[in-house]
Amino acid sequence: MTATSPTPTAAGLTRPVGPAAGVVPVALALIRRSLLGTVRIPATFIPMIVMPLFFVIAFGGAFSSVTLLPGFPTDNILNWVAPFSVLQGASFAGFGSAFGAGRDLENGFFDRLLLAPSPRLALILGALGYSALRAFVPTVIVVSAVLLTGATVPGGVLAIAVLLLAAMGVAVSAGLWGLGVVYRTRTQRSGGLIQVGIFTAMFLSVGLVPLSQMEGTWLYWAARVNPITAVLGMARSGFVGDVTVDAVLPGVGALAAMIGLLGWFAWRGFRRLEG
Amino acid sequence: MSGPGAVAVTTPAPGRATALVPATVAMGRRALLSIVRQPATWVPGLVFPLLIAAVNAASLSRTVDLPGFPPVDSFLQFLLPATLIQGVLFGGIVGGADIALDIQDGFFDRLMSSPVARPAILLGRLGGAMVLGVVQALFFIGVFTLFGARVEGGPVAVAVLVVVAVLLAVSIGGFAAGIGLRTGSQEAVQNFFPLVFVLLFISSAFFPTALMTGWFQWVAERNPLSWMMNAARDLVISDLAFDDVVRAVGIACGFAVVTVSFAAMQLRRRVRMP
Amino acid sequence: MSLPIQAAGLRRSFGDLVAVDGVDLEVREGEIFGFLGPNGAGKSTTVRMLTTLLRPTGGWARVAGHDVVTDADLVRRSIGVALQDAAIDPLMTGNELLRLQATLHGIGRIEAKRRGAELLERVGLTAAGDRRVGGYSGGMRRRLDLALSLVHAPAVLFLDEPTTGLDPMSRIALWEEVRSLNAENGTTVLLTTQYLEEADQLAGRIAIIDRGRIVSEGTPQTLKAQVGAPTLVLRVDAGHRDEARAVLSGRFGTERPAPTPEAIAVGLDGGAGAVADVVRVLDELGAELEAMELHEPSLDDVFAEATGRRLEGAEEATTDGDDEGGTEPAAEGRRGRRRRGGTS
Repeated sequence: MTATSPTPTAAGLTRPVGPAAGVVPVALALIRRSLLGTVRIPATFIPMIVMPLFFVIAFGGAFSSVTLLPGFPTDNILNWVAPFSVLQGASFAGFGSAFGAGRDLENGFFDRLLLAPSPRLALILGALGYSALRAFVPTVIVVSAVLLTGATVPGGVLAIAVLLLAAMGVAVSAGLWGLGVVYRTRTQRSGGLIQVGIFTAMFLSVGLVPLSQMEGTWLYWAARVNPITAVLGMARSGFVGDVTVDAVLPGVGALAAMIGLLGWFAWRGFRRLEG
Repeated sequence: MSGPGAVAVTTPAPGRATALVPATVAMGRRALLSIVRQPATWVPGLVFPLLIAAVNAASLSRTVDLPGFPPVDSFLQFLLPATLIQGVLFGGIVGGADIALDIQDGFFDRLMSSPVARPAILLGRLGGAMVLGVVQALFFIGVFTLFGARVEGGPVAVAVLVVVAVLLAVSIGGFAAGIGLRTGSQEAVQNFFPLVFVLLFISSAFFPTALMTGWFQWVAERNPLSWMMNAARDLVISDLAFDDVVRAVGIACGFAVVTVSFAAMQLRRRVRMP
Repeated sequence: MSLPIQAAGLRRSFGDLVAVDGVDLEVREGEIFGFLGPNGAGKSTTVRMLTTLLRPTGGWARVAGHDVVTDADLVRRSIGVALQDAAIDPLMTGNELLRLQATLHGIGRIEAKRRGAELLERVGLTAAGDRRVGGYSGGMRRRLDLALSLVHAPAVLFLDEPTTGLDPMSRIALWEEVRSLNAENGTTVLLTTQYLEEADQLAGRIAIIDRGRIVSEGTPQTLKAQVGAPTLVLRVDAGHRDEARAVLSGRFGTERPAPTPEAIAVGLDGGAGAVADVVRVLDELGAELEAMELHEPSLDDVFAEATGRRLEGAEEATTDGDDEGGTEPAAEGRRGRRRRGGTS
């Protein structure tokens, strides 16, 4: 896209105006930059890989006997905790983007982005695209680990695809939440606040046991209204049985609602940066 | 040849080395102040264990009926020792990292160039951690009692739990201080944080080992933190028994002796450094 | 009629704090305009408003003919900006950053490659282009930052404290770069600085900003001339000292505080041209001239006159000024020629 509109000057000459930039190339360039940053400090991969694996091992090992509870949907604990661990890892990926934006805001790199005539949307999409891309890492790692233990995924390839979709949605949602906070605080020190939000959303849900097992407790009511519950239901559906429309639709709806709301929150924060 | 009296008149007596006790008290007060003034470092240590306990107690409330589960009133009661010990361990890591910060920003060198008794540097830190441990223990026991999870062993068991918390605060504080003294890096100390988390998870802290399976159970049963957890749990879920008291205090003492020796060794090593 | 940069009554407050308090500014086509002031005077806030990073709370500004609020995007397409801290991603290479910057400005891949190579060459970083920026020196970073700000060949260039923290050699190299840029491409440059010498060396016109207001404006020469006469410091043989002092201060201007008791200091109302007369008068008196220095008024004097305070970092700048502008009366003229020579 090149648009040059001539502008009259004092001398009556025209001063050329530089081109405007498109959304897609700018977003892609920003994703590329984030990727470079990750690849060049390989140590950043370690928590991305270790954390979801640790979740699988810790939850799967410590609470393996929850499957013995009457009415539990599966008898293999790994099938139960793997999707939860993947979503945990995905939320961490979203946090990573927000943390990166906080660093850019603190050291002034963000000014470089704001100074460019690129569409503002592209700056947010770049950060989110990277989050979504990173959601592949926990999905691949955890699913491979689970398959290596000899467990089977009843829903097959479709189950893994649905899990990946859920993971990307969670990464984008967490990223939007984090960006919204970071755009307002302009510092990566707000990382603690972002994590508390993500942690609360992920845990006040059906991570350990299904809703039916927590009836009568406060958590039941919290988990029922938490959109993550529907997303977890979607992510798990192909791991405890066949992928069903009844499980996937509410999850997709919850993700859309979260992305819409948090997207508004992030966008409002972004507008405040320019003022 | 002049007599000793003459010498005393002409040369001023060298400043006396600061005695151990007042120096320790002063250092301890400083350690406590630095904790109190940075709530961001210890508030999460109170809130997160409670949040985990609340979610786990609600999620896993029905598992107490599974065969093999220890006789408890509720899952929340089962979780009391885990929450208490978790809080103390996290708080201790944060406090212990401060000694590395002292080394990083040069305060340690200033201490070294003063006549302060060397052990006071370590003992002061540990004293600060002990006070924090008492506060944490009373806080967690209070909150749990409020939500109906009683300590069956009564006031004596509560007192013993406080002592255990203090000893564990010393243990983790000694461990963190030792690492801090060895590396001189606050970051290095904090890197051990996930290790503590892993040790805690692969133990009987959040679920009974009897209901685990495979290698996870094998490791958890041999994890010293499980022994500590089980001993403390007996004080919470059953009537007071002398054996339980001895076992809980004994294990906590064992931890403390090992890590404080490690820290003392590292302090000696650093003091000797040119 | 549209100037490259034009602002009227520009204001910005943060809560109760008024950072910029009614700035009027007119920067002309093709000039290097210096914005001089101490830390916290409002320089950076003004630049952030002119470059669309910050919304003014009062007044208006047009850059390259476009309003900075309503036509922010057009402004962004016309300007290049190198900000104070030269925030550069240390993990990326110079080439990668140039390519990213080009994409941000909507420049296609092939064109970006060509421009990138050209700009790296221009700032002398061709050899370092594929190295990570983390390993660059401070001067290299600033030069890369300059190259980045030029990727889309902007008509107006903003440089916010481009040499703060640089060693003298890197500083001079960057000055050369800015000068030749201005001379070859006719790029209009607005430069903020807290270094008097930098403003003096680079800028054709200067605005001095203090506490959010412009307190003085003009060419360095006229500003200095406003402050008053240059100071002549001389030493004669002890026998004629008192006589010379009385005659000189009576005939050429007022006496000023001298650096040492042996020296005589006089404000030369007639300027540098009066030096010859001074020498003649001393000769007539029979005094033996041992040493003589002419001190031109410095921008620090201008700043002090305008604000009642001295500028931070003034010492270093005035010392340089003394060396160059002092020992011979013709120094000012020579310096002026050299500046013109550098930019034409």
